[in-house]
Amino acid sequence: MSFAGKILRVDLTNRKINKYDADLAKDYIGGFGLCAKLACDLIKSEVTPLSPLNPLIIGAGALVGTNAPATSRIYAFTKLPANGAIGWGGGGGATFACNLKFAGYDAVIIEGKADKPVFIRIEDDDIDIRDAEDIWGSGINETCEKIWEECGEGGILAVGQAGENLVRFSMMYIDRLSTVGRGGIGAVMGSKNLKALFVRGSGSVEVKDRKRFDKAVKELLERMKSYPYLKEWQELGLLKSLPAIPRDVYLKLRKRRIACVSCPIGDKDVLELDGGEIYTTSAVNLMTPAVMGMNYKDAMRLTAKLDDYGMDMFEFLGILNFAKELSEKGKLELDSEIDFTSLDSMLFWAKKIASREGTGDLLANGFAEMERKFGVKPKSVVKGMRAYTTPKGPLIWNLFGTMELGQILDPRGPHVAAGGSPTYFAKRPPESFRKHLARMGIPDEKIGEILSSGIKIGKLLCHSHIWFTILASLGICARAQINRFYSADICAELYSAATGIEMSKNQLLDKAREIWRMLKLANFRAGFTREDDLPPEDWFDDGFRDYVTGEPLTKEDVERMMDEYYREMGLEEFMRR
Amino acid sequence: MIAVHSENCTGCMRCVLICSYTYTKKFSISTPRIKIKEYRAEFTEDCNECGKCVEQCFYGALEMVK
Ligand code: SF4
Ligand code: SF4
Repeated sequence: MSFAGKILRVDLTNRKINKYDADLAKDYIGGFGLCAKLACDLIKSEVTPLSPLNPLIIGAGALVGTNAPATSRIYAFTKLPANGAIGWGGGGGATFACNLKFAGYDAVIIEGKADKPVFIRIEDDDIDIRDAEDIWGSGINETCEKIWEECGEGGILAVGQAGENLVRFSMMYIDRLSTVGRGGIGAVMGSKNLKALFVRGSGSVEVKDRKRFDKAVKELLERMKSYPYLKEWQELGLLKSLPAIPRDVYLKLRKRRIACVSCPIGDKDVLELDGGEIYTTSAVNLMTPAVMGMNYKDAMRLTAKLDDYGMDMFEFLGILNFAKELSEKGKLELDSEIDFTSLDSMLFWAKKIASREGTGDLLANGFAEMERKFGVKPKSVVKGMRAYTTPKGPLIWNLFGTMELGQILDPRGPHVAAGGSPTYFAKRPPESFRKHLARMGIPDEKIGEILSSGIKIGKLLCHSHIWFTILASLGICARAQINRFYSADICAELYSAATGIEMSKNQLLDKAREIWRMLKLANFRAGFTREDDLPPEDWFDDGFRDYVTGEPLTKEDVERMMDEYYREMGLEEFMRR
Repeated sequence: MIAVHSENCTGCMRCVLICSYTYTKKFSISTPRIKIKEYRAEFTEDCNECGKCVEQCFYGALEMVK
C-alpha cells in the first residue's frame, strides 16, 4: 500500500530518535489529515509556540511517491508564532516529500530543542543529528548547497536567517524552491536550533491494486495532455491569470522551468538576473513588490533576497507599511526612511528585520506584538497576520469570494491555499461553477442551494475547505491548473487503489469534514472564538464588494456568511447567540 | 534511440517514477534505468529503450527517434 508505514520522532533535547507504526494514517487519510490529528493530540494548550514543547509535525500525503500527477506536497503542523493557533504550512518542491516516503516515513515529529545549531539527516533507517554551526547564519541557498555538498542528493527543508532569529513571519523552504508558510512557522525551527532536515530514501512506494491505480492515472494524464491550455500553463503558470509582467520580458529572464516531482504542469522557475540565479516558487510572487511602485527587476531582486532570508514577503511589506504609519503618527522612531519604491531601502529593512538589528528587532515580532505595544490596530490584519487580498493590496482584489472569506475563517489565519474553489482571482458567471462544484463532490441539491440568488459564499467555503482537505491529505497540489483535473470521485478511486483501504467518495468527504472540524475545534478549545474570526473593520470603507452583484458589502453581510459557514461545517460553537 | 533535450527538462521525475514502477512494480527514485542529473537524463546499461519514460514526459525533454 502507498503508505510508508512509519512515523519518525526526533527529540532534539535528549537526542533521541524513535520510530513507530503509522497506523493512524489510515484513520485520517494521510498527509494533512494525519498531521492534523497528531497536532491536535500532541500540542498542549498551555504550550507557547517558541517553547521546546511545541512539536513540529511534517508529513507527506497518501499518494506522495507515486506517479499520480502533482502529488508532492508536504504539510507541517505546529503552534504558530504569529498568533498561537494550531496551524500549518504546506509546500511542494523537488524531492523532499517523495524522499521522506521512500525513506520509510509518512511523517516526522520534531520535539525539544538542541543545545546548539543542528540539522537532522535522514537516510532510510540511518538518522543522525548533525552539527550546523557552520551553516547557521546562512541564507536558504547557501544552506542547501552546503548540505548537498555534505550529504549528496536528497530533499531539504530549511530555514534562513529569519527563522533562526525567530522572526514571526519567517518561513521554511523546501529544496530552496517552495515556501512553507505562513504564521512564522520558520521560527519554530529556529527556536529548536534546527537549521534543516535532509532526507534521502532508497526505498519505494507500492500501490495495492496496480491495474485500478494505473487506469485512474492514465485517464488523468490523457485529460491533461489534451487540455487546450496545457502549453500556455506550462509556459506561463500563474502569470496566465495574473499577468504581473509582460510575457516576453519574463521569458527572456527565465533560464528553466521547474516542476515539483510528478507534476505535468509545473510553474516554478529559475531566472537569470545580474549574472546569478533566482529560484522562485511563482513568478507572480516574485513580482509582488512591483505593486508598491518598484520596477520589475528590483521587485525580483527584493523577493529573491527575502526568500534567501526565509521571510514572508507579504508580511514584510505589510509590517513596513504599519511601521511607516506609526512613524507618521509620531509613535515610532525609525532607523531610516521606508521607501517602497527603492530597492536599497527595502534591502536595508530586510536585513534589519531578518537579523533583528535596531528597529528591525521590534518589527520582527510581527503585527500582534506591535499592536499590543503601540495600541494601534494595523489595517487588514486577521489573527496577527496581514490578509493577502484586500481592496487596497498587497494583492488588489475587491470581490468577496471564498478566498476572501477564507482569510478570516481559516483557523491558522489568512492564506490563499485552503480556499481552492472557482472564485479564485477571476469573476466567472455563477452558472459556470456548477461543474466545478460537482467535481468537488458537492451533492446536486447542495449546489442548487449554493447557487440560489447569487452565490452563498459561506456554504461554498465550507465545501472548499473539505475539498482542500482531501487534496492535501492525498498530497495533491491545490493550484488551479492541477485542481481542475481532479474530482472527489477520482480521489476516492486513487486512494482506494493505492492504499487498499476501500473508501467511497462520500466516506472521503465525511472524513475530510471531520478533519477540518477537528482543527477548528482544537483552536476553539485553545481560545479562538467567533471574535477572532471577525473581519477587520477597514474592509468596509470603500472596500470589498459582493462577488456577483458588485454592490458594497457590509460587516453584517460577512457575519451572515460566517454563520452560514459554521452551520454548514457543523461548528455551532462559533455561531452568533 | 531516445534523444534528450535537457533544456526542456523540469526535473519532474515522471520518467524516473514510471521506469522503476514498470520494472520493479514499485515507485522509487533509486532503482530506475534513467537518472536525472542536473536536469539531464542519463540512461543506465539496463535501459531497453521501451519508451515508457518518453510517454510520461510532458515537457518534450525526451524524444523517441528511429
Ligand atoms: S526507455 Fe524504458 S527502460 Fe529505458 S529508462 Fe525509459 S522507461 Fe526505463
Ligand atoms: S526528462 Fe521529462 S519526465 Fe524526466 S524529469 Fe525531465 S521533464 Fe520530467
